[in-house]
Amino acid sequence: MNRFRRIPFWSWFWYILGAIYFILPLFATLEFSLTAQRDKISLLAYEKAFSDNNFIETFLYSNMLALATIIVSIILIVPTAYWIRLRLPEARRITEFITLMPFVVPAIILVFGLIRIYSSPVTVPFTNVQIFQPLTTTHFGTNVLIVAGYMVLAMPYMYRSVDTGMRTVDIRTLTEAAQSLGANWFTIITKVILPNIRTALLSGALLTFAIVVGEVTLATFLGVDAFGPYLFLLIQHKAYEPAALSFVSFLLTWMAMGLIQLFTGGQGQGAGAH
Amino acid sequence: MAQTAMSARKIKPPTDWKNWLGVAPFFLFALLFLILPSLRLFAGSFTDKAGNFTLENVRQLFTQQSILNAYWLSIRISAVTAIGGGIFGFLLAYSVTVGGLPRSLRSALITFSGVASNFAGVPLAFAFVATIGRTGFITAVLKDVFGINIYQSGFNLYSFWGLSITYMYFQFPLMVLIMAPALDGLKREWREAAENLGASTFQYWSRVALPVLLPSILGAMILLFGNAFGAYATAYALTGGALPIVTIQIGAQIRGDVLHNPGLGYALAMGMVFIMAISLAGYSWLQKISERWLR
Amino acid sequence: MTYLALSNISKKFGDTYAVEDFNLDIEKGEFVSFLGPSGCGKTTTLRMVAGFEIPTTGKITLGGNEITDKSPNQRNVGMIFQAYALFPNMTVAQNIGFGLRIRKEPESAVKQRVDEMVNLINLEKHANKYPYQLSGGQQQRVALARALANRPQVLLLDEPLSALDAKIRVSLRAEIRSIQKRLGITAVFVTHDQEEALSISDRIVVMYEGRVEQVGTPFEIYNFPKTQFVANFVGTLNTAAAEIVDPAKGLLKMDGVELTSADEMNGYKKGDKVLIAIRPERLSFASEQKKANVVDSRIENITFLGSVVRIQVMIGNTKFNMDTFNNPFLELPKIGDVDQVTCSKEAVLILGTADK
Repeated sequence: MNRFRRIPFWSWFWYILGAIYFILPLFATLEFSLTAQRDKISLLAYEKAFSDNNFIETFLYSNMLALATIIVSIILIVPTAYWIRLRLPEARRITEFITLMPFVVPAIILVFGLIRIYSSPVTVPFTNVQIFQPLTTTHFGTNVLIVAGYMVLAMPYMYRSVDTGMRTVDIRTLTEAAQSLGANWFTIITKVILPNIRTALLSGALLTFAIVVGEVTLATFLGVDAFGPYLFLLIQHKAYEPAALSFVSFLLTWMAMGLIQLFTGGQGQGAGAH
Repeated sequence: MAQTAMSARKIKPPTDWKNWLGVAPFFLFALLFLILPSLRLFAGSFTDKAGNFTLENVRQLFTQQSILNAYWLSIRISAVTAIGGGIFGFLLAYSVTVGGLPRSLRSALITFSGVASNFAGVPLAFAFVATIGRTGFITAVLKDVFGINIYQSGFNLYSFWGLSITYMYFQFPLMVLIMAPALDGLKREWREAAENLGASTFQYWSRVALPVLLPSILGAMILLFGNAFGAYATAYALTGGALPIVTIQIGAQIRGDVLHNPGLGYALAMGMVFIMAISLAGYSWLQKISERWLR
Repeated sequence: MTYLALSNISKKFGDTYAVEDFNLDIEKGEFVSFLGPSGCGKTTTLRMVAGFEIPTTGKITLGGNEITDKSPNQRNVGMIFQAYALFPNMTVAQNIGFGLRIRKEPESAVKQRVDEMVNLINLEKHANKYPYQLSGGQQQRVALARALANRPQVLLLDEPLSALDAKIRVSLRAEIRSIQKRLGITAVFVTHDQEEALSISDRIVVMYEGRVEQVGTPFEIYNFPKTQFVANFVGTLNTAAAEIVDPAKGLLKMDGVELTSADEMNGYKKGDKVLIAIRPERLSFASEQKKANVVDSRIENITFLGSVVRIQVMIGNTKFNMDTFNNPFLELPKIGDVDQVTCSKEAVLILGTADK
């Protein structure tokens, strides 16, 4: 409104109030992390935190879990979204229902169910024939479980991102154009589909990364040595190192989100609480 | 609609069931790792210790005092952070949309909201301990500079209000992310038309803008409610289980059967899923209405 | 007697003038259109009358009162928006009654007025529907009723038909005009569609790049355009370069062909290069009736447009469009034929020096 050129006092008021609320905890964390040596600003806490073997191991492990989650998610979701779009629109409703379920079954409940089912041997229904051992008793099994769990947590965002990306570039018309020009399926997948949903994939991948690396609930209850449980343990024993890692963790999330923003140009994505 | 178009183009329409093979992997995955676990919990809540069907667990949900307390506590925290988060989040979103702050401030807020709404669990808990914990930054500042000792006056971070304040860190941003597009949907012409017909700013907001936004606001608050209700990591990291909300109880039940009745544990989880489902349904329904108006 | 007067109105945004030197007196009950391409300043001017923009210079008076600085909600002008702007949370009836309730009129009076308006726009059966349940045309009629319910002193319409289908546009503009005439309300109508402006206005203000090009009745604007822009913008036009031969006799030469024009040639001297224009419907075959100008032409193309047949002829080195009414019993010439084409002196318009 051109009439009212007065400074929007209340807008500034709320914004500044919000900024204070959001920045203070970050500032406090940073300040705390820099005062490991009495009265001296130093990066000692960071040095100690990063040089801790446990940190390196768990952080790397979490990253690998994130990578595995991302890759398997893409392999599972991209063809599914594509198939539904092109050949099976009837499956859309039920698929979207499935992608909404993780909101209703948050991490703590999911892990509850996963443990109860997979801590006993998986049998063919109504018989005693064992398919495989309880997943929770082997390392491999536990890894499978946790990657699956992470995939479930990330699935709504990954699916929505890919689906929207496909809609935006009208993947059906592109496919038909490619087919009419003689392309085979391999070419279509690698040269038509994947390149055009690059942004959506990146977006989904970054969000998955942000969710997985700091995740605590699934990792703790499944007994996985991930970064989340490590950080949790650290808080109980140390003071300054957790501060350093918390701050770094925030920076990493910021970086991931910032990249998403860069690639998608504008829409923020909220993943909610854990 | 699309399917008939496709069939018209195909020379031999594929048999229906073959098409469903394409989505089979996804459905299999969902079945194994989402649906089956949920069903297990569902079935378990109607099973007694001997393995027979019973409604006793569900009955106990509504009668056992500790459980009722847990639900009530969870509901209170979720409601408080939903309403508080909703109001302040709305004001923040307002300030950068209709409120007229510069574009750069809006981008900063939206990006930050994307980050902050993902920033939960251990780092968040720690950040608040570092801020308003017993030896926190603000606690110290208030004591040394203003002479106010908040802990002496009864404040405690590791309590209902402390957790609520911490929860706001991801509730405010979630509200901003939902409301900013909704506020953008307020057409400039509505305000001009209202003014043209004689309305003051207050009348415009009370008769047009807020009613139009109401479904979005309510829907968002319901989503915030569900969000807080299902949160575990932050609460556990901050209070270590001292605050017996439903998620903490479930966590304890997973570790060791503290309720001495597995079925009751399952019922507890199901009760929570039920509440989350209602909250999601409410949000979806209100979303549909607001989309109709803000098209 | 002047009812709405804009004097010396200008509007500056930053360093550019969106509107400059705008003067206009509108009579009570008059229907005036602001016509021009995007960016010509017509909407800005309208919004200044409504109060959504403040003029940089100048004065606006309505019914004798100066309203230049009044806020929009105190002007009692009715505005219709291109995007309808109906309040989505209110029914048709509630939308229409909005302004009256703001004014705290008694509920019975509101109800009566709303019923009156609903009847005026023929939407009795839809009075309790919500905007999303109505078509575009219906929504715009509700917007009209909503503005009129308040008994405004002047009705301002900002490209109200641009978002609608072609058929609805035609029927709705007639409806708007008939309601305006019936109520005797003063109206200012902004559009970029010259057919719209020509068909319903008492007077048209043609605008270009923030300035008024010409003000006149539709007849005047179409037949006697004063500037090159107006001639080009309103109606279709044939243009060609020509050279002045004899200013006193009105003689010109175009591509070696001699033409006579009735336009004023003061200020031009022999040898000056000018741009001339002839409306397609002013050309006809000389075999029917010979007028002042008779020239040889070759038939290049014939296009059947329905009620009009457009024949493209080559005169000299320039192609001209010639429009004749469709007559199923009249034999049309063939492509390649050489025929004589004629037009009157008045049909040859001189649009200014040929520089463009």
